[in-house]
Amino acid sequence: MTDPVTSPLTMVGDSTAAVCDGDFCEIPDHREQAIVNRRVDDDRI
Amino acid sequence: MSNAIKVDIWSDVQCPWCYIGKRKFETAVAGFDGEVDVEYHSFELAPDTPVDFDGSPRDYLAERKGVSPDQVDQMLERVTGIAASVGLDYDYDHVHQTNTIKAHELIHYAKANGRQLDMKERLLKAYFIDGRHVGRIEDLADLAAEIGLDRDEVVRVLTDNTYLADVKADVAQAEAYGISGVPFFVFDEKYGVSGAQDAATFANVLEQVVLERAHGDSESAQ
Repeated sequence: MTDPVTSPLTMVGDSTAAVCDGDFCEIPDHREQAIVNRRVDDDRI
Repeated sequence: MSNAIKVDIWSDVQCPWCYIGKRKFETAVAGFDGEVDVEYHSFELAPDTPVDFDGSPRDYLAERKGVSPDQVDQMLERVTGIAASVGLDYDYDHVHQTNTIKAHELIHYAKANGRQLDMKERLLKAYFIDGRHVGRIEDLADLAAEIGLDRDEVVRVLTDNTYLADVKADVAQAEAYGISGVPFFVFDEKYGVSGAQDAATFANVLEQVVLERAHGDSESAQ
């Protein structure tokens, strides 16, 4: 197994695009969703 | 030497935005006048999920994360609507929430046999659209056989954890890059793109890589 590449990436694109982070998937551009996300984050162990 | 643009994609099989992002990325590639070499990498969103979790994603979020069933329904409805906009018919009523480590091992096995892209697509469709289980070895072997891979060999390599180290190497590389969410796209080992971006964004990055390569070639020729 080779060692991971550690050179930094240049981030491009829309920083608010939809991603799954942890076992929860954000849905951007909906304020009520952001509230739900924060609740989940607070609950993360 | 190939001039193909290498795109490494970190993704999980039970990530709704990964499938949606895959379609958007594929739209960009289809309209790109050049060669693109895609490689998928493993990322486990919920490694602590039991293989035989008794419930759906709706149950998982409601029971384990304290999100109310109404909120979960609203979220899934939105995701389903966005999926439909890119031609994906998500069926959350029949999704089996599970652990995806074996699915990732299978994707590495498929890569070793030149079929990674087909296997990735089959697994995503199996999970989100077909209501198939993507956590159990026997179910995964069935899916592998459906795209022409050797079912018995798949059972053997998954039972023996043959490709587990490759999965872990992908996860380590994701950590080295600082990737915390998926889908995550790395173009030419240089540009990072996070999330299910619009196809136009992916297309712009591909064009940017082409321009930089051309600029680099002209500089080195001087």
